[in-house]
Parts: sequence; structure tokens; C-alpha cells
Amino acid sequence: MLLALAWKNIWRNKNRSLIVVLAIAFGLWGGLFSGGLMVSMGESMVNSAIDRDLAHIQIHNPRYDENNDIKQFIPDPEKVFAVLKKEPDILAFSARTRFLGMASSATSSYPVHITGIDPEQEKKVTTLSEKIIEGDYFVTEHGISIVIGKKLAKRLKLRLHSKMVLGFEGLNGDLINIACRVVGIYKTESSMFDEMNVFLNQKYLFDVLDTQPIYHEIAIRSPNAEVVAALTLKLKKQFPALKVESWKERAPEIAFISDLMIQYTYLFLVFILFAVLFGITNTMLMSVIDRIRELGMLIAIGMKRVKIFSMILLETLLLSFTGGLLGIILGMGTIAIFSHVGINLSVFEASLESFGSSSILYPVLPAEMYVILTILIVATANIAALMPAWKAIRLEPAKAIRSY
Amino acid sequence: MALIEIEHLDKIYNTTAVPVKALNDVTLQFERGEFTSVVGPSGSGKTTFLNMVGGLDRPTKGKIVIDGTNLAELKGSKLVEFRLHHIGFVFQAFNLIPVFTALENVEFIMLLQGISKEERQKRAIELLEAVGLGDRIHSRPGQLSGGQQQRVAVARALASKPEFVLADEPTANLDSKSAEDLLTLMEELNREYQTTFIFSTHDPRVIKRARRIVTLCDGKVEKDETV
Repeated sequence: MLLALAWKNIWRNKNRSLIVVLAIAFGLWGGLFSGGLMVSMGESMVNSAIDRDLAHIQIHNPRYDENNDIKQFIPDPEKVFAVLKKEPDILAFSARTRFLGMASSATSSYPVHITGIDPEQEKKVTTLSEKIIEGDYFVTEHGISIVIGKKLAKRLKLRLHSKMVLGFEGLNGDLINIACRVVGIYKTESSMFDEMNVFLNQKYLFDVLDTQPIYHEIAIRSPNAEVVAALTLKLKKQFPALKVESWKERAPEIAFISDLMIQYTYLFLVFILFAVLFGITNTMLMSVIDRIRELGMLIAIGMKRVKIFSMILLETLLLSFTGGLLGIILGMGTIAIFSHVGINLSVFEASLESFGSSSILYPVLPAEMYVILTILIVATANIAALMPAWKAIRLEPAKAIRSY
Repeated sequence: MALIEIEHLDKIYNTTAVPVKALNDVTLQFERGEFTSVVGPSGSGKTTFLNMVGGLDRPTKGKIVIDGTNLAELKGSKLVEFRLHHIGFVFQAFNLIPVFTALENVEFIMLLQGISKEERQKRAIELLEAVGLGDRIHSRPGQLSGGQQQRVAVARALASKPEFVLADEPTANLDSKSAEDLLTLMEELNREYQTTFIFSTHDPRVIKRARRIVTLCDGKVEKDETV
């Protein structure tokens, strides 16, 4: 009955309550939707990086990261491969020969990461093969074939089938220059990656370097992202002499930005709730002032002040929940629709690419965010109820009954 | 022992520059089953007196003992609890909960007493029938006339089975017919259930029906006569 009374009380002044309900609902709707966009941008950055190059786990020689030196390859790689092949949580792995070099065309030069890959193995780990926008993925062979990014092609004024020269230091310290033919131009979500990475079939590199196969990086793909942390730990124990890193350890900045997007969304929602808190307080305060005589009567006939407090609290909770629920439903619905159809932000493509994010975003919010948001709404309602409820319980019944 | 014993009651208001003595050495006793009218001109202290007896305000001096309980000894929620179980109130402006039906208004006080839903519904219907509103139990206050609203207020006052009912100018907002009907009803309830009624008024129709009339003037008991 107290619940029924509280519910009926909030609808005494329909316009006033409706304004607050809509303020909460639209505030949360906007907050959730923009939060969904931010989180999806973070996820897009993570997924793009994993799919593009990072994979779930990477293994290196511990000294490789000092200066990406060609001599810091993984010792005894066959033993590592043997272990990886037996691991059930590994979908595929790609052993890469990777070092720094200089890419030159007739007009310009640019420092790049030269990556020798086994095209078929790489296909199982990353989506490079799907990002080819001109030419093909090591199908056409013209001498030493190379696949370069669109941004680099633009910088060096290269086109498909153009010739370019890669210069790098050999294993014995000699400077090596090789002429390559551009067979494919790729474009990923990150223009920076496209500018700084070139890919060759690693068999050419072994020939040029006159060496047995050497590998600097093993990129591992797991079928289940949930097991990456445990799998990383397991591989760390199995290869104590090597540097085994999860994608989060390898690219902490991407993991940080992704987490930051979620934190920002929370902060954004807290600000929205903080703003509506004043609206709720004002509405409830007006509601209490409108009912001073009635509240005085309730105290007079024997309603304890704690019950009066509970009633005002309940009214505030119901008012906030109505708005909150409406906002959550609108937010969830909008996110659900756009998570399927996507939002095309190609107008901002250049900016998004510089962050490594796709220009088509699929808004998404973690389920726990809705739970935390519900808790935040309850907390907001409780805070908003304090002043009106305090005013109500401090009424002196004899005076209140005789007020206007 | 009398139901209500009032000894040397003073109430001084210090809200203005000059303190106002609203009650001055009031000593009275009320027995069970009384039908008493407290009369006097405006400002004589009638409402202040009812507020003191109803435990809605504290006296500056003096003692009020109701059925053996000294009101001064009851603090905070104990006093509220005492009012809930021992005192019924009928207000001049009816003061019903506008969003509740007549039935819910009468039920609500029993809810506060912790009475089960079945019992409070049964009693609320009985009381509304007793006050002649058996066919309007689902009407909201806004759908009832002033007289009908005050009848609901009387039913609500009786729902908690109080020792006595305090009515502050209950007919002030009613037309003659409604006022007469209400007084007849209160008389019947007083006779039938031995409910004690104490009401403040300056309405001659009410004064005429009272069996005891206490006249206040400038906060003092000027006359106390049994009719």
C-alpha cells in the first residue's frame, strides 16, 4: 500500500514528473549511446590491431625489442613450433622474419618494418590478405614480390607493379639492397601501420640473407580470446628464455585506450546522473512543499517519521527508476539496432584511421555496465531524496496541518 | 480514573516579540463516552488545547495524562505510536489522501497499525457503511462532497479504535445539512460505540448538540457546564 501510495503520489503532478522522467531517460539514452560508440571505437582499435598484425600472443627473443636488430632472432625455433602445434588453445601461428629497413622509390625513402611471412600461415593468423585493395596477396610473382600499404605507396609515389628498393643490414653487418616489385597494396584501419609495414615472402629473405630460416616474431592466434591470459602464462613457463607477451602486454597503449573508453563512459554517465540529481531533488522538494498539510496529517494520525522518510525515498526511487528504465531500454534498443547495421563514420575516416579504428562502428556496451548503471541510478535517487525527505520529517504536525 | 486528566496546563508562544500565553492554567478531566464541545471565540486557545491533548504540540507547563500515560514521558516515535493507537483525529479541512479511495483512506491508518489486509478491509467497509458511505467506498476524495469527505475522515478516525476522537472545528467547511448529518452521525457513534468525542467549535449547531461544553477565553477555562 505504501508502494501504491508512493507511485500514485509521483503522478499527482503528471507534467512535473514527466519532465524529470524524460530528462533522466534522454540523458541516459544519450549517455549510453555515445558510451556504446566510444566503447565500440576502443574495441574496434583492439580487434583491428589483433586482426591486422598483433594476434593474441607474440613470442620474441628478449633482446629483439632493444632495436629490432636482425641478429636478435628466436633461437631453436623448431622446438617452439613443436610445442605450439600441440597446444589445443592455439588456432594457428605465424613465424615472421622481421627487422628494420629503408624503403626507397625513385623519388623518396621511408623507414619501414620489413616482415617476411609465410603467406599461407599468415592468412590463418591475421587478415592482411583480406585488406588488399589493389593487386593480390602473393599470387602473382614478379621476382621478389612485395605487398605494401596504401599510405606508403602514396608517400613513395608507388603504384601496382612499381619497382622499389629495400635496404637493410644483413646478419654479418653488410648493407643489403634488394629490388622488389609491388604485387599488392593493402589498406587497414590504421594509416600509420600502412605507412610503416611492408611484407615479403620470407623465402626471398632467407635467400638474400643466405641463411637457414630465422624468425624474429611468432604471432599466435587463439580460437578463444578468454583463454589468452592463461595461455600466455602457460607459454611463459614453457619458454622462460623467450619473451612471451599477450596482446595487452605487447601493445599496452591499445589496451589502455580500450579500457579508457569504458572508464570515460562511466564518467560520462556519472556526470549525466549528477546533472539530473538536481532536477530530481527539485521535483521532490516541490512535491513535499505541495503536500505539507497532508504530510502533517500523516504524522499527526500516527505515521512514524521513518515511514515518511521511506515514502519520500520510495517516491524518488520510483521516479528515478521510471526515467532510468526508459533510458536504459532506449539506450539498449538503439545500441542493439546499430550493433547490427553499424554507424558509418567515413566522414571522419582519416581521423579514425590515425587511431587505428574502423570508420564503421558497431556500438556495444558490456552487460555489467547496465548493472552498474542501475546501481548508480539507485544511488542518485537516494542522494536526491535526502533533502526532500529531511524536510518532510522535520515538519511539526500542528503547524503543518494548518498551513495554507 | 478519568480517561484524560489535564493539570495546570500552560502554553506560551515565543514566536513574536511579545510572548503569547495561549493556554493559562487549564485543569480539566474527561471521562469515557463524553460528547464534549470546547468553545470560545477566535484566539481563545481551542486549537492549541486540542493540539496539546492530541500530543501534536508540547505544553510549556502542566501535565496531560491519557489513560494513565503521561504524554510528557513519550518522546519521538513513542508519541507518534501513542497517537496511532489511542487518539483519532478529524480535521477542519478533512485532510484525506487525495490519491486514495475512501476505502484506502480508512484502511491506511490500520496499515500503519500493522493490521492484516483482510481485517483492515473488512473493518474499513464496516465503518464506511456505518457513516453512510457504503456505496462510495471506491470514490476518491475529489469525487465526494465536503460532508461525505468529513464522514470518511470520521471513519478513518475510528478505524484505529482510539480511546477518543479529537475534532477541530469539524463542521467549519460544511453546509448546514452536511453539518447536521455529521453531528447526528457522531452522536450515534458516541452512543453506539461509547466513543469519546471532544471537538472545538464556535458553530452554535455543534454547541447545541454537545452534552458538555467547556468555554475557553484568553486561554483560561471560563465555564465548564454539563447540559
